[in-house]
Amino acid sequence: MAKVVVIGAGFAGHTAALYLGSRLGKKHDITVISNRDVFGYVPSWVWVGVGHMKPEKTVFKLKPVYDKMNVKFVHAAAKEIHPDKGDQYVLGEEVGTSKQVRLDYDYLVVAPGPLLNFAGTPGLGPENGFTHSICSLPHALKTRDAYLSLCERMKKGENVKIVIGTGHPGATCQGAAFEYIVNVHKDLVKKGLRDKADILWLSNEPAMGDFGVNGVQIKRNGHVMKSEEFLTSVFNDHGIRYQVQTGVTKIEEGKIHWQNYEGEEGTTDFDFSMLIPQFKGQPFKFVDKNGEDITSKVTNPAGFILVDGKYGLPYPELAQTPDAWPARYQNPMYKNMFAAGIAFAPPGPISKPFTNKNNLAIAPAPPRTGMVSGVIGRVVALNIADLIEKGEMTHSEPMTEMVAACIASMGDSLWDGNAVTIVMRPVVPDRKKYQNEFGRDLFTSHLEMGVSGAWMKFMLHHTFIWKFKARPGWTIIPE
Amino acid sequence: MQNSQEFSKAEKFWMNFKLYQLWRFIVLNIKILIAVGHSKRS
Repeated sequence: MAKVVVIGAGFAGHTAALYLGSRLGKKHDITVISNRDVFGYVPSWVWVGVGHMKPEKTVFKLKPVYDKMNVKFVHAAAKEIHPDKGDQYVLGEEVGTSKQVRLDYDYLVVAPGPLLNFAGTPGLGPENGFTHSICSLPHALKTRDAYLSLCERMKKGENVKIVIGTGHPGATCQGAAFEYIVNVHKDLVKKGLRDKADILWLSNEPAMGDFGVNGVQIKRNGHVMKSEEFLTSVFNDHGIRYQVQTGVTKIEEGKIHWQNYEGEEGTTDFDFSMLIPQFKGQPFKFVDKNGEDITSKVTNPAGFILVDGKYGLPYPELAQTPDAWPARYQNPMYKNMFAAGIAFAPPGPISKPFTNKNNLAIAPAPPRTGMVSGVIGRVVALNIADLIEKGEMTHSEPMTEMVAACIASMGDSLWDGNAVTIVMRPVVPDRKKYQNEFGRDLFTSHLEMGVSGAWMKFMLHHTFIWKFKARPGWTIIPE
Repeated sequence: MQNSQEFSKAEKFWMNFKLYQLWRFIVLNIKILIAVGHSKRS
């Protein structure tokens, strides 16, 4: 009987656990260790942050789902990984009791989600800083409360400044910030308060609509349309000001300090700000059989786990080398260890990085959205099942082949809400396969805005929660 | 950085015209399912 341990129960970890339970749960020992005992449907937290969705609608308890799927659940925070052959185990700390937990494994999936590096930007974040975040449910709730009290001030006649975007020169997840800024706009319009707010988009993207993936390009009526034009139209239409090519360096009460591509330093005042922090890998300690810390051999400097990618290529070479992107998410040193979702180390950025004259790198990190994380979780789980049952892996899916569909909410109402529906193939451009300057399949890639997107987003919320609860037919629903 | 790009009146009309949007909803679902079909086969 093989022992498989999954660290983390987000999009990647939970998906992996469901597939592992389904394929191996009755014959083998599958265990999930997570510091949270609930699954959180992250894409809907943007609605929690404006007070349009109750938080309990975005979470559910994990244990009943795992009981059904023959998966054991340990409510503990993983701290140490001992990966050397002969004595491979994860050490954790049980939530509530701080009791040490030891989980032996034959195969390990590391999928704990990101460490939100608020400390990377002085003054950033809701705990020790002056800005807000929608990256966790407690943060989204704090954001909602701050936003609603801001609305109360506006109702009394106060004019306010709202800044939404990225809070670090190397931040990712611009899509979530985009959804939040447009939902704030829509909510203020509905409340009759829009004229009281000056809203600014502040982002580290090289261009509007870049999203850390070098933008989205589609073919429409015979010509190529870029997400830059599309998003610019959205912001102009909504009266939202924008400032891209900007890295936030420090926050003070009511003041954001930044630098731009030209190396200019400036400040922007705010009354309310939601800025996405830099993401880093979770600070696990990897320990070898001699008790030595080998973390630096297993992870990159940001704490993401090295897998089967080609690392160290300069950007121009990486952009022309689709094979550099990992396909199986398997650690090269410890072949029974896989990293899924945000946990794996990408070989480099997707968008063109930029370093200004002050030596500040302003470069969005590659996003690993829910769909990408889910697909990787599935690939990893099926490969582990293959290894246990057949002795070899049969699944692979690099981001240079992966399709991603993303629905960016622009108001949740099913009558007058809106959303941008984005389909990208592949997520990371493959300029060898697709012989155009963008390296993408311009026929499959799609960008469209309309109320149908709001219906899609509503439908996705319910179908994905159905899937993640492993209800009948869950495997049919794509990641 | 800022320019004068905006959606036309016709574009805005189609974005909110429910019958057309119902058609787009069906088309988008099919398009996404076909696109991810590739992924599910990997």
